[in-house]
Amino acid sequence: MNYPTWFRPGMGGGMMIAIIAIIHVFISHFAVGGGLYLVMAERKGLREGDPGILAFTRRHAKFFLLMTMVAGGMTGVAIWFVISLVQPAATSLLIHVFVFGWAIEWVFFLVEVVALFVYFYTFGRMEDRTHLAIGWIYFGAAWLSLFLINGIIDFMLDPGAWVADGNFGSGFFNPLFWPSLAFRTAVAGLLAGVYAFLTTAFLEEGPTRRTMTRFSGQWVLGAYAAALATGAWYFLRLPAPARALVAGGSPTIHRALQAGLWGLVGVAVLALVFTLARPGLHSRPVAFLVFLSAFVFMGAFEWTREAARRPYVINGVMYSNGILKADVARLDSEGILGSARWTAVKAADENNLLEAGRELFMLECYACHTLHGFNNDLAFRTRNLTYPAMLGYLKTIHEKRPFMPPFVGNEAEARALSAFIVKGIHGRELPAGPAPGGKGRALFEENCTACHDEALVKTRTAGWARTRIRTALDHLGSLNPGMTDYEGTAQEKDMLADHIFGLQGGAR
Amino acid sequence: MNPLIPTPDVLPAPWGWFQGFLMLTLPLHLLAMNAMVGTAALSLLARLKGDAAHARLAHELAKLLPILVAVTVNLGLAPLLFVQVLYGHLLYTSSVLMAVHWLSVPLILLVAYYATYLYDFRFEALGRWGAVPVGLAFVSFMFIAFLFTANMTLMLEPSRWSAWFNQRGGTLLDTGNPMFWARYVHNVVGAVAVGGLFVAVFGRLRAGRDPEVGDLAVRLGLKVFRSLTMGQVLVGFWYLLSLPAPVMKLFMGGSPAATGLLAAGLLLAMLVLAAGSRVALCAGLTAVLVVVMVFMRDVVRVACLSPVFTPASLKVAPQYPPLVLFVVSLAGGIALVAWMVLQALKVPTSK
Repeated sequence: MNYPTWFRPGMGGGMMIAIIAIIHVFISHFAVGGGLYLVMAERKGLREGDPGILAFTRRHAKFFLLMTMVAGGMTGVAIWFVISLVQPAATSLLIHVFVFGWAIEWVFFLVEVVALFVYFYTFGRMEDRTHLAIGWIYFGAAWLSLFLINGIIDFMLDPGAWVADGNFGSGFFNPLFWPSLAFRTAVAGLLAGVYAFLTTAFLEEGPTRRTMTRFSGQWVLGAYAAALATGAWYFLRLPAPARALVAGGSPTIHRALQAGLWGLVGVAVLALVFTLARPGLHSRPVAFLVFLSAFVFMGAFEWTREAARRPYVINGVMYSNGILKADVARLDSEGILGSARWTAVKAADENNLLEAGRELFMLECYACHTLHGFNNDLAFRTRNLTYPAMLGYLKTIHEKRPFMPPFVGNEAEARALSAFIVKGIHGRELPAGPAPGGKGRALFEENCTACHDEALVKTRTAGWARTRIRTALDHLGSLNPGMTDYEGTAQEKDMLADHIFGLQGGAR
Repeated sequence: MNPLIPTPDVLPAPWGWFQGFLMLTLPLHLLAMNAMVGTAALSLLARLKGDAAHARLAHELAKLLPILVAVTVNLGLAPLLFVQVLYGHLLYTSSVLMAVHWLSVPLILLVAYYATYLYDFRFEALGRWGAVPVGLAFVSFMFIAFLFTANMTLMLEPSRWSAWFNQRGGTLLDTGNPMFWARYVHNVVGAVAVGGLFVAVFGRLRAGRDPEVGDLAVRLGLKVFRSLTMGQVLVGFWYLLSLPAPVMKLFMGGSPAATGLLAAGLLLAMLVLAAGSRVALCAGLTAVLVVVMVFMRDVVRVACLSPVFTPASLKVAPQYPPLVLFVVSLAGGIALVAWMVLQALKVPTSK
């Protein structure tokens, strides 16, 4: 609300961040682990006096340069650009709190750039010890870059004591710093092996290919074990709400984790069978399959990490839509439109419901929801809601779906946003009086239709006795971990159970 | 006060520190960027000529180009960081207004960067077709300069921001600003000119190993540098006249510092032109000239924004240990870079 919105309702900004970020982390972790891999491979070649291994290392260094320096570096810049366009308030906060962290990271990046150029362009021409030292300098700088970025990224997931003291060190060395650093270091090692499979797959058949394929397989599986252990440590240190979301509270995270799990299994099986047990079977398709599996795993991890801090962009401080938690009470009483700088409507009333509602959608919903887009389409999610149900849902949205920010604003603004969604998006006229169907139906619309319409509930409860429905309403979380328990009174549950039972044609 | 200007965040050190870091790192980025742009332009010219000496020069420059892109990008990150600390609330806003164009910058750069590697690693195989990737890289650099000029100009003009209310999709390209075109032409003409001088310096260093290519680089580089620098004086006056009147008057006696900078810039330009083919002298004077230009650029920014914002007004909650750590890291990093470059220079060119 402090900044203008880059408003492309059919696409949304979150997906753009996700696409660029996933590609970048997949390359940037390779840029760390791959640096160590190069040094270790070169050392192996020197110790064994094997020119084949040294030629392979040089070839891999070229691939490494083209992948990390160009695609890795430019996607890193692109992330910075896109977050400042989609989340300018959060970006500004991160830049100001951690400016010297970013500045130190820039120094390490400079060292990385120079070291990698010297390493690649002098390969085979520089004295061995010095060349290896340059490789170590590259790896040291790359790992320290990870060290710095890690502190800032995990600050967003758990800012720790910074919330109270505002201290750089408290935010940087947040509760997730060490487990995340260990996990990312292990993943960097894993990706070093995965990328090296690509280079070995393009070698001619012979001893060097088998030796380096097996060498790379050892990297993958060793780092894999470390990643599993440190990943568990990371998970256990997550703040409780984030852990609950990762454990099944969020359907999107659940899907991402399923994909990530398949990716992990793919990496393990392919690496074990085709590179360690039978390196002779290693081939380009196998290398690409391992690569793809690792990409799916990395994408799932990145998606999960981003999604786990919902409803915040900076946990406990700033909601995903850029509204500061500390401002909510004031905005609820004063109204958000009057405080927002970039809105064409400064107050909602009965004469401008749709115009004001559209501005409110942009300020409060658009950060996560598209309109008729393929990601988190608000039109699809609200297709069953009537105006009273939408209005009721908005007021309790944060309780019903804890990973969503609360609606922020006054009563007139809540009506305006509801009207925009129901009439502006779905073209349904706003009712003049109370909704038909009695209290049970009104409760159903307020509490259920955001996720499932009557037809779906009717299907899911087919054959259920009224008492079973009533009992289930006391324990919704046990039906599906993604569902929150219904907090209504016993009388309201009775009325709701009657309505659902009535959907089957039973007597109410 | 313009109601659209966002509230800035709190600084972790007094603003002068960030201003100092900005003025230290921006000239380095500009010098590297000029070298990159000029190298691409002259390599393209040389590649289009048919003779062997030009082809060898094009190849030598092709080898430099990817390194120059990497150094330019790296040295650009620091000033981009420090400008966001001081002016982020203005820069983020203008960036959002032209988001589609702004986000295309790293993507275009990605393509241009790969094009420079293709040009270098496949130089012989591509033959004169090599003009295509290096030409693509050069055009990309020109377009990126166009977008940077557009954003850095738009951030200075909050009065033009209300265009967002009719154009929320991030597609605004505010080329109607009176100073835009003069500023853009001033930037790119200067970049190619200084880049030409960089090629001349490269030629002087290379003359011992390949006198023919070395002399050609010096001749071609100086020719581009001198002709464009003469043109640049005229473009500079166009830019001066395009500035808002209160800002222009600062350089015309309204502010002794601004007027002194303009006079110093003109004097340096004259000295550079008088230096003839003394490449080292030209390079030294031009480096100082670039620093003077950076200060003049800052005067324009501060003056344009003075009715609505000044960095001195930013709130500060100082935390000095991270600042000290940065300075120590920078010193260590520079030492490491110097050591590595020294080691690389010791390596024989072939073994």
